[in-house]
Amino acid sequence: MSIVIQENMTVQKKLEVLSDAAKYDVACTSSGVDRTNSGTGNSGIGNSLACGICHTFSADGRCISLLKILLTNECIFDCKYCMNRASNDVLRATFTPEEICGLTIEFYRRNYIEGLFLSSGVLKSPDFTMELMLRTLRMLREEYQFNGYIHCKAVPGADPVLVEMAGWYADRMSVNLELPTADSLRQLAPNKTRKNILRPMKQIQIGRMENRGKPAFNRIPLMEEDGYREQGFTKLEQEASGDRGNTGSLILPHETARNVRIGQGTANTLIAEDLQEIAEASSRKTSFGMIKAPSINRGFVPAGQSTQMIIGATPESDYQIISVAEALYQKFDLKRVFYSAYISINEDSSLPALNQGPPLLREHRLYQADWLLRFYGFRATELLSENRPNFNILMDPKCNWAIGHLEQFPIEVNKADYYTLLRVPGIGVKSAQRIVKARKTAILSFEDLKKMGIVLKRAIYFITCNGRMMYPVKIEENYITSMLLRVKEKLPFDMEAASAYKQLSLFDDVKFASANAQIGSFI
Amino acid sequence: MTMKKVYFCENSLEGIFSAIYDAWSDRNGHANNEIRLLAGEDQGNMELFTEYIYVKNSEEKISKVARSVYEKISNEAYELICGASCSCEASRGDDIYRFLIVGFSMGKGVIDCLHNKYVMKIFELNRNVSNEAHHLKGFLRFQEMEEGILISKIAPKNDIIRLLAPHFSDRLSQENFVIYDENRDTAIIHQKAKQWFYTGGEFLDTDKIKKITEKEESIGSMWKAFFSSISIKERENKELQRNNLPLRFRSNMPEFKSSGQE
Repeated sequence: MSIVIQENMTVQKKLEVLSDAAKYDVACTSSGVDRTNSGTGNSGIGNSLACGICHTFSADGRCISLLKILLTNECIFDCKYCMNRASNDVLRATFTPEEICGLTIEFYRRNYIEGLFLSSGVLKSPDFTMELMLRTLRMLREEYQFNGYIHCKAVPGADPVLVEMAGWYADRMSVNLELPTADSLRQLAPNKTRKNILRPMKQIQIGRMENRGKPAFNRIPLMEEDGYREQGFTKLEQEASGDRGNTGSLILPHETARNVRIGQGTANTLIAEDLQEIAEASSRKTSFGMIKAPSINRGFVPAGQSTQMIIGATPESDYQIISVAEALYQKFDLKRVFYSAYISINEDSSLPALNQGPPLLREHRLYQADWLLRFYGFRATELLSENRPNFNILMDPKCNWAIGHLEQFPIEVNKADYYTLLRVPGIGVKSAQRIVKARKTAILSFEDLKKMGIVLKRAIYFITCNGRMMYPVKIEENYITSMLLRVKEKLPFDMEAASAYKQLSLFDDVKFASANAQIGSFI
Repeated sequence: MTMKKVYFCENSLEGIFSAIYDAWSDRNGHANNEIRLLAGEDQGNMELFTEYIYVKNSEEKISKVARSVYEKISNEAYELICGASCSCEASRGDDIYRFLIVGFSMGKGVIDCLHNKYVMKIFELNRNVSNEAHHLKGFLRFQEMEEGILISKIAPKNDIIRLLAPHFSDRLSQENFVIYDENRDTAIIHQKAKQWFYTGGEFLDTDKIKKITEKEESIGSMWKAFFSSISIKERENKELQRNNLPLRFRSNMPEFKSSGQE
């Protein structure tokens, strides 16, 4: 193990090293918990808003909400893709808990940040590292009386007691899945095992359930991450989900929806084994059971847990990836699954050589699909299949789905329930909510929809108002596909479809051509 | 022929309510009335065959309009009106007037009536105001003065510092801080463990902000170091950064100032 340790490093230098080392962590959200300072004694500093707050945006366009740092970048693990792996010759640094608390408070007072995101390399052992992280969190909460947001990683392999204790001080915890399948994990992260990752995840889930006295899957649609804070949605939601048996959703709060989902297996032979492992992760209580809540009880991981996986370093298909994500949402009640386009940092024979940059379009499609799973009531098996294992580069997953299910369209805007409206290309959560609200007082026309700010350029091929379509449109696959492709999709980055295509076909076995065979004839 | 009437009023919710009361009670026909704000900005062209009326604030008129909104429409409608009155849109006075015309005829159902353009307009003004307030909850920056007082200078389009005040007063309840709106020359002042208040900026010695302490400089420089090292070179995307963080906010954010420029 080669480690360069520089003595007497300044805090600023440490910050540079340990934020640089933390930058590949995807999540920087500060969402999921509403807490006032006055409600926690009012003698401390900080509060938290469920919608989350972005404090600035870095040059890569990503939100900076939290002071995202590693406690240390010294690491005994040798994960092939990681900058801080033991075999790399990089400058190493370690913060003291005092330094982290001081930085967090000074940054927070100036409104630079919403709180702390604390991750770490594995120093000496998982337990040793987790203990240091715990000490930092406890100091920040108890001595500095910090009521702002804290996101803390659980180190795989750390003692469950330490994880449980950290859970009382953190708002969100995350355990990185790292790679979509256990096989890939074995190849690229030889010191980590799927079991060591899933165990703390399950522990945190159960801890949260016990703390809240509520069953899992009790999720409210239009969640905080969406930033949509309109009151009274619950009512709408109930109305909308009234007769919904056929497409139960992850986010339906009702027990019925839950049963519907569990009945429908998502597994297929390709990924069955892997999902099985997720499904079977021990649901026994893994905590020590003797840890009591701190005197100021902010709840056990009140903002829930998230995870992330690297996309494009290993040959999994999009179908495998979203099936894994879906299983995680269902079986672990995760708040978010983050996808991180693989960036080539180390050279290694087991890693793909990337000469065209990270696969950003693929990552974008996965996030779009993830949104459909979480907010729109879609299932992974509706979006992709073993025969069509990858997303269409030319079209977002919802358009792609709609084109394949034209028999379900057009739908009547004045009658269709909330979840059916959400399935219309171009109609998102906000638009569907507005429609459900507005049609209480009027029968809506296309003119009304426009006034309500609903974008119709994609939707017009799929809806009727009062039994009529806006223009006479044939509901025919080729025609609608070509019309949809004329609407320029707004991507968060500048990219030509051709180069995107190359990006996505990194691996020869993804059967990419079949996914796009039909589309191909239009370009 | 009925004459068009334009009611000029003070640029505040009180002014707008006073004007709405007068416009309503003189039975000229709503279509012939217009409410405009007396706000240093463009007051519109004078037109022929138009009567211009300058409305003075009246406690009685204000409370009558406010009560009617509560009783005949709803609390929620009242909040929407308050939000709209913070907007920078020049037509906000008349927009509120039009909204109330629909509101008083429909009652509390008006807020569902999103296909009505006057109702939609009020929602748009609110969205705009609350979006900016939400942005500034994140983009606002404090700087610590020698006495430990935190000072923030912002230049919002809409009049939102009073919307920010409760948030920061809770968050930083143990701090002395000032949030100064340089566009309107108004400020929020919060003293440790006390209630915040709203005041004109003429009381503030804003020159003091320019003095930077050594501690402030060192923390600012750590923040800048963090800001640059957290970005991933392979994903650089200035356009996305600009979409998420419009340039107009950056003048008061230290991470976008080169050193020595402060």
